[in-house]
Amino acid sequence: MTMAALKRAALLLLLSLYTAFAAGPFVWAAMLSLRTTTEIHRNHFAPPNPAHWDKFAEAWFTSNYGVYFTNSTQVVVSAVVILTLVGSMAAHCLARYRFRFNRVIYFVLFSTIIFPPQITIISLFQILVQYGLYNSKLGLTLVYVAIQLPLTIYLLESFFARIPSDLFDAARIDGYSDWEIFWRVSLPIALPAVATTVILNFILLWNEFLYAVVLITEEANRTLPLGIQRFIGDTQEDVGMIATGLMIAIIPVVVVYAFFSERLIQGMTAGAVK
Amino acid sequence: MPAGHEQNLHQDGLRKPWATIGVFLLPSLAIYAAFTAYPAVRTIWNSFHRVLPRSDEPVGLANYAELMRDEIFWRSVRNTITWACTSPLVEVSVALLLALALYAKVPGARFFRVAWFTPVLMSYVVVGILWLWIYNFDWGPVNVALRALGLGSWAKPWLGDPNTALPALIFVTSWMWVGFNMVVLLAALHSLPREVLEAAELDNCGWGGKLVFVILPLIRATLLNLVVLSFIGKMKIFDLVWITTKGNPLWATETVSTYVYKRAFEWTTFDLGYPSTIAALWFVIVLGSVLTLTWLFRLRQKLEY
Amino acid sequence: MSSRKRLSIIAIASLAAAGLAGPAGAQQPKELTFWSHWAAEMPKRTFVEEAIKQFEANNPGIKIKQTWYEKTALYAGLKTALRAGQAPDIFYAEPDQVEYMENGFLLDLSDLNWAAVEPWAKEAWSYKGKPYGLPLEAWTVELYYNKKLMAELGVKVPDDLQLPPDAFLEMIRQARAKGMTPMALGVGDRPYPGAHLVHEALLKKLGIDDYNRLLTGKLAWSDPRVTATLKWLRGLTEAGLLPTTFTTLKLAEAHIYFHTNPGALTFLNGSWYTSRAFNPPDKGGQPKDFPLGIMKFPAVPGAACNECRSIAIGGSYVGNAATKHGKEVLAFLNSFASFEMGNRWLDNVQVQTGIKSDPAKLTGPQAADYFKMIAQTNAGAKYYFGIPIQVMTGKPKEVFIQVMNNAFPAGTIGVEDAVKQMTAAY
Repeated sequence: MTMAALKRAALLLLLSLYTAFAAGPFVWAAMLSLRTTTEIHRNHFAPPNPAHWDKFAEAWFTSNYGVYFTNSTQVVVSAVVILTLVGSMAAHCLARYRFRFNRVIYFVLFSTIIFPPQITIISLFQILVQYGLYNSKLGLTLVYVAIQLPLTIYLLESFFARIPSDLFDAARIDGYSDWEIFWRVSLPIALPAVATTVILNFILLWNEFLYAVVLITEEANRTLPLGIQRFIGDTQEDVGMIATGLMIAIIPVVVVYAFFSERLIQGMTAGAVK
Repeated sequence: MPAGHEQNLHQDGLRKPWATIGVFLLPSLAIYAAFTAYPAVRTIWNSFHRVLPRSDEPVGLANYAELMRDEIFWRSVRNTITWACTSPLVEVSVALLLALALYAKVPGARFFRVAWFTPVLMSYVVVGILWLWIYNFDWGPVNVALRALGLGSWAKPWLGDPNTALPALIFVTSWMWVGFNMVVLLAALHSLPREVLEAAELDNCGWGGKLVFVILPLIRATLLNLVVLSFIGKMKIFDLVWITTKGNPLWATETVSTYVYKRAFEWTTFDLGYPSTIAALWFVIVLGSVLTLTWLFRLRQKLEY
Repeated sequence: MSSRKRLSIIAIASLAAAGLAGPAGAQQPKELTFWSHWAAEMPKRTFVEEAIKQFEANNPGIKIKQTWYEKTALYAGLKTALRAGQAPDIFYAEPDQVEYMENGFLLDLSDLNWAAVEPWAKEAWSYKGKPYGLPLEAWTVELYYNKKLMAELGVKVPDDLQLPPDAFLEMIRQARAKGMTPMALGVGDRPYPGAHLVHEALLKKLGIDDYNRLLTGKLAWSDPRVTATLKWLRGLTEAGLLPTTFTTLKLAEAHIYFHTNPGALTFLNGSWYTSRAFNPPDKGGQPKDFPLGIMKFPAVPGAACNECRSIAIGGSYVGNAATKHGKEVLAFLNSFASFEMGNRWLDNVQVQTGIKSDPAKLTGPQAADYFKMIAQTNAGAKYYFGIPIQVMTGKPKEVFIQVMNNAFPAGTIGVEDAVKQMTAAY
């Protein structure tokens, strides 16, 4: 064997070890999710044999995960829809129209990305109480729109700005109105970027915990992260059932990731490297 | 800013259709005003008051004075800054090594890339619970492995010991974010001009030399961006601590975020003024340090990646 | 009479009839919302659920909408819901939550049937001369032990059930020598189990009055009696009193640690031990025929009052001051305030109660035996009412929890450092 091949093998081994380290915890959690707590306490690392798929039904129906899942879906989907519409309108406008304060507005919206959440969360609590939106899915949805708006506008604006302006001139000559230019020219062209922000916002909001924990109290309105937290409670920990709950929370993300991994990685890294 | 941007702006912009601009911007600005700007201002207003459920009472700078003397607060500041300063270094350097390994065209690079990215997709709640189990004294994989290696005396409740709790949590965030940093760096590496690398090859400078003198300077901007990003993330950290230790033991893992939450919603007071004071001061500190960092790195003109 | 008028009279009459007939008619039943801790404690749940059923049967116009919570989630939810004016009509509280009363969130319960409640329990819920809580649960700190393990170890529990200080230390050493954990205890999810050690020891050392002065900041933590007692405790923990996992072990896990896996010699816990341990074994309860014994907390060297111990009011129900149904809330809480309910609580829940009751009249065999043991350890006791975290507030409380509940018993910080931190907290 040549030196180079040996080196390559060593490198591959190292990378595989790191992969085990990076992905191991989830493989473990997936195994735990299919076993009962009694089985788990006999051996924490055994494979699920037999696999108790019915635990998912049990978690869904008797442990209330169905409610949490529905709440999460409602809140996140409506937030993402509003975000996409409102965000792309603003991004289109900031990229396309030149006016005084354009960059000021852009900077003001965008700079909130670095705000620590504490600066708003206490008064958001007070304000939502005043508006009668406290402990409601609508209130949480609006807050979610607000916290993801800067990133959405940032990502879309940079994409819209790259669309060649000839297209718009042509559209205008064809008699398109301002709204039609946005709706029928900008948006369709920017679809890949829009898709990226949709996926990105979906995952970030699906995982959101801090705002939910402050703004939601009632069992009936809990989102998944809150619901899971409830089960690490007073009882002897039902490790098996919690693991099933974790998987229920993870699965939608995994599905999205399976289909859109490239797009998602693009989105997260682009959003990250600002 | 991409080059074409400025030109695009004025084409349509000449007409300044204020009504249209208003329609497009209004929803965003309204949401921004109601749920970001107003709350932020109100927090600052709160910080000069005692805010009880049924009354507000101005107290001037009293909250700030108390904050200066609050040892738990300073403890939480120390912890958070420790976190925000160590994490970026660990994450970015490990990520760089991994990215270079993948860049060397090992088989299955695509698979590795996708697999390593997964931890960052999970919420801190999920990650926190998983790592609570991983650090479990009796059956957590860490202690099980130590015992299997004959190092049973090293086994300990990692999150229960004030000396190890914070490092253990920092380790978790690194585990979570290394893959993400790696993917970004890999993209940066792939975008490097081939000729430069080939030229270096010809000059016959060794692998290490190539890394230090050619590659690093070229991806410097990305590296520094990642450092700033990781720094900001850790300055905000809440979820992971809340799920795992709640700041215990002996404030060893108390972060500013958890302390604000405790003072606002857990302590035996209903006062929202004092926690708002912490938030306001922390806001200034975060803003200041991010600006300082970007200024130090002279990243301003390279903000667009 | 026009037909139209007649129709309307009929309509009114039938409406009134429907109203009198009760919920079957047009009138909506009044719904009271009710949040309670004890999601995982079956005996208490059953007791409360039966009480609700009975109340609804006796009061057909009222429905109780009940939600069970875990304590931490409940407290967090209530804190925000109260501020937001969205708290339930009735909820769970403990008397240490003075902030509820300070901020006027609780319904004045002066009209409750207080004759059926122990006077000291009413006192625990009194704020500025008015009572605010129905003191369902009362508890003492008890030192549970495994009789079989104790006998194997050759330790004889004296007739007065209180080991002298040296004998207790000796017990720890022997247990450790046999690889046994002397005392199951964990502070993974509660702010008080570790503090029971400091609490019971200092109370005995100082006596009731001086102990109260200590907790309220009128006696210095650097008092030589305090430091001497802490040093004594330090000796116990250094001899290996507590499990290695003390800092992360949760309350429910500590129970299991004591009676099942791996098993510990003793367990220092509130007398509500029963609410978890008397569940079936597969629900985290103790094994069948578990040789449960109870002894007193050991004597403290140079103590002023070795017969001093604490009794505290635990889980209670309170009304929301902002409720629209004050009368109904009061009626519901009143349905608990009777001798019969007190005894039913003892029988089913097997924890003491602030409602007047008579353990001698218990019918359940398990309850009767258990309360006999509790009566023995409480014979001749002088009571201090409350535990430290119920008496302390604000910063001293936070520091006490971190230091005396966690770091000091865990051995993370020494006596001097602990005293210094406590002194600085006031």
